[in-house]
Amino acid sequence: MTRPYVPWFLLAIALALAAVYLFPLYWMYVTSMKSGSEIFANPPTFWPVDPDMSIYPSVWVRRTMQTYLWNSVLIASGVTAITVILGTGCAYVLARYRSGWIDFGLFMILMLQVLPASVMITPLFVGFNQIGLLNLPRTAVVLAAAAKAMPFFVVLVRATFMSVPRELEEAALVDGNSRVGAFFSIVLPLARNGILVCAILTFMSSFGEYIYSKSIIQDGSMQPASVGLSGFLGPNSSDWNSIMAYSAIYVTPILAVFVLLQRRIVSGLTSGALK
Amino acid sequence: MARIFNSMRDGIGFDLILVGAAMVFLLALAGLPLVYNILMSFQQVDMFTLGELFRPLAGFTNYVAVVNAPEFWLVTRNTLIFVFASMAGQFVLGFSLALFFAQKFPGAATIRGLFLVSWVMPGLVVGAIWSWILAGDFGVLNTILKAMGIIEAPIFWKSDPNFSIWAVVIANIWLGLAFNMLLLSVGLAAIPRDLYEAAELDGANAFQRFWTITLPMMRSTIGAVLSLGLIGTLQQFDLFPALTEGGPANTSNVAGYWAWQMSFKLYDFAKGATISVMMFVLVLIASVVYVRSTRHEVRG
Amino acid sequence: MQFTKLGLLAGLALGALVAASPAMAQTVVKVWSIDGIDRPGIADTFSKEFNEQNTDIQIEYRAIPFDDLVNETLRAFATGNAPDIVSFDNPDFALFSSRGAMLDITDRVKASDVISKAQYFEGPLNSVSWDGKLFGVPKYTDTIGVFYNKDMFAKAGITEPPQTWAQFAEYAEKLTDSANNVYGATFSAKAGEEGTFQFLPIIQASGGSYNNVNTEGAAEVLDLWKKMIDNGWASKDVLTLGQWDSTGTFNSGNAAMAVSGPWEIDRMVEDAKFDWGVTLLPTITEGGERSSALGGFDWGIMSSTKHPDEAFKVLEYYVSQDDRLFPEFGNLPARGDIELPATGIEKKDAALKVFQEQLQYAQPRGPHPEWQKISKAIYDAMQAALTGQMSAKDALDQAQATIKGIVG
Repeated sequence: MTRPYVPWFLLAIALALAAVYLFPLYWMYVTSMKSGSEIFANPPTFWPVDPDMSIYPSVWVRRTMQTYLWNSVLIASGVTAITVILGTGCAYVLARYRSGWIDFGLFMILMLQVLPASVMITPLFVGFNQIGLLNLPRTAVVLAAAAKAMPFFVVLVRATFMSVPRELEEAALVDGNSRVGAFFSIVLPLARNGILVCAILTFMSSFGEYIYSKSIIQDGSMQPASVGLSGFLGPNSSDWNSIMAYSAIYVTPILAVFVLLQRRIVSGLTSGALK
Repeated sequence: MARIFNSMRDGIGFDLILVGAAMVFLLALAGLPLVYNILMSFQQVDMFTLGELFRPLAGFTNYVAVVNAPEFWLVTRNTLIFVFASMAGQFVLGFSLALFFAQKFPGAATIRGLFLVSWVMPGLVVGAIWSWILAGDFGVLNTILKAMGIIEAPIFWKSDPNFSIWAVVIANIWLGLAFNMLLLSVGLAAIPRDLYEAAELDGANAFQRFWTITLPMMRSTIGAVLSLGLIGTLQQFDLFPALTEGGPANTSNVAGYWAWQMSFKLYDFAKGATISVMMFVLVLIASVVYVRSTRHEVRG
Repeated sequence: MQFTKLGLLAGLALGALVAASPAMAQTVVKVWSIDGIDRPGIADTFSKEFNEQNTDIQIEYRAIPFDDLVNETLRAFATGNAPDIVSFDNPDFALFSSRGAMLDITDRVKASDVISKAQYFEGPLNSVSWDGKLFGVPKYTDTIGVFYNKDMFAKAGITEPPQTWAQFAEYAEKLTDSANNVYGATFSAKAGEEGTFQFLPIIQASGGSYNNVNTEGAAEVLDLWKKMIDNGWASKDVLTLGQWDSTGTFNSGNAAMAVSGPWEIDRMVEDAKFDWGVTLLPTITEGGERSSALGGFDWGIMSSTKHPDEAFKVLEYYVSQDDRLFPEFGNLPARGDIELPATGIEKKDAALKVFQEQLQYAQPRGPHPEWQKISKAIYDAMQAALTGQMSAKDALDQAQATIKGIVG
């Protein structure tokens, strides 16, 4: 009898859950608009007494954020490109067979992630220095960060390939296609959505790359936004409003893109793409 | 020659190239640093030899020193709490949300999309935000809990030794929720609907259907989520400097942060490498779990 | 494709850089410091002015965030990319000078008309000395004292600022007003250098030093600190707040006393809506020995430099500008021969006088090449005691054992 109401009831719960989940994001925006002493106020105010939006343009100008954000975009694009080019083929092969060697390959890909980036940076720095890559710092960061992003991508995309019916590829081979031909004309198009979505996810997570960039890129005009953010944290001062405003400027564009794309991302992954 | 070329185009060679390119790349950029760190954990390192590969050997002295450090067992305990509590929280909440959003109701897909926000948030920013939310005196979480009558006195999330590790766990669960929910949603969507319909005809209730269909069908997804989650959690770094810096008195220090502290705060590179090599054990478990879980995969 | 483009861009940028650098026989001196990231600082301003003089030396300046400075330098030194001149926080200096990574400038300073050893305070000078040799010059210095809210003191009927730590705790109790979210005191007992910075002076005042930390007096004060935290006279969050944030709660009227340094003055003048003053750090017993922390940075030339003479000239230029440190940047010069001009802001001038007096008691941290490990032993002990994991005595004993293992 109550059946027609169930979906609306579920919607209400969903909205409540989303409100709880998104609260930290709300708090970031609110804090950025508070005055210096209001953020220390106890009890905290849920809406700024005197919202001050002028901090946004001033932080933008003071920190030359357009350069930082552009660098973040460059680095994230580079990481995504390498990850997709190298990871897709690898994932395809690892999904195609079932043997001890494949197990070993999967095992290796995960094991190579044993070290946190913070510990890998010293050897990478030394190595890059030796081959002169430190003169191309953004390229160096792209290479290092791609190696970190790869396992996640391979695992996800491998699952995509698993759901591409084997018979289709075999039929193509019987029809006289070469392996290369079958891969590019049959398997890849079928897995396209999954790969695309994983690529977007890789892009988004490498947009926040921090540890490699801060050590490898010395020239301020080539550093990404994450490194710019850490510049606020001085020895005897941390300018919290500006940090929050900077964070807001940093994540808002990517959040906006994300909200626009999210239906595609989620449906791309859940309905059919990975099946 | 032609045979080799042919195999590259139309045989096992093609597979080898695809997998080989990625492997060579990973070995160079992740394998070599790993070897460097393992070597370093058996050596004496100082600022003059930081850039070299061969240094005076130290045998197991670094390992002995790390194990004998007063904070060693505390850090081990914290690492286990952090890893398992974070993963349990992320997984249970992520799975619940995935199941919830698999229901049909208006706006389900759109609202589910919002839950991916923490995926795009850089760890540095998340740490800064949570550090304000969790502050003892002027933190908003305490204000909310007090208003709801759950607590009477403020909880000093970051400064109370009983809560400090949980402060980081809470922030980390939030951060990892998107990842878990996304992957588990994908796994759920891949289960053929007719299986459920058949079970329903057989009179299975919701719990039985979950237990006999959902879980077994999700094995490989769960394996992937858990192993990637374990690795991600072990590598979590950004939250620590923003929230507790491992304090108070190391009660929220975990292996990953400790390794960083040794190398880059105390400038003892050898011990930092030693700790990171010891974390190897946990990643080993993750890898085995993952590889085993792939055995249950169903090829489409 | 993006990747090739990236490489191309980076290549172009590099080319542009090479083309832009002057073709004359100029010597480039590379300087690294933390200044100039968020606002103009000492090193970046002076370097720019030096370059504008167009001598045959040009400074290539790079600002590095505080947390990364030592690591960046270590890594650069190991790979042969080190700067010529670098500016370290004073306790970090010995890490480099003791291993021969800094250039011995003893003789150069003796011959110099600009720099003279005699003019510097003893504490800062110690931090750049190692093994009887001089490896650098102090850049500026600072220390800590107690800021107090005069309005709250008057309301609580307290006329004089605290002289001893026992008084400090007693006043903290009187000043606490939990109904209005006011703590009696705030300080920074953080798990990090700032925690050691605030606690070490107490060890020193009790007759101890960085390699003799388990003194009775230090344990006593630690117990007082714990008492203040346990009774809610100070926030539990002093265990995680840095000095800047901790003093932020003082400025917003949520704490009646705050332990911090002169870098707070400018913000306090602007933010604090009450009457405030500064007093010397309390002693352990009435009229007992005084001590305080020594902060501030040092300049040094790295031993790997190919242009020691030019680098020293740059150093001389920096030192010649020392009289501008306070009026322009609010930093205290580490030398006694510079008169600090009055600013005309009454509270600021009064505070400054106190800090200058306090500086006479300031003692350096170390110098020791493994200072950071010693520091960790100290702040770990402090935190273990304050959180009740160990008694103050046991915690300091454990720290002493650890430090003994390091110092030998």
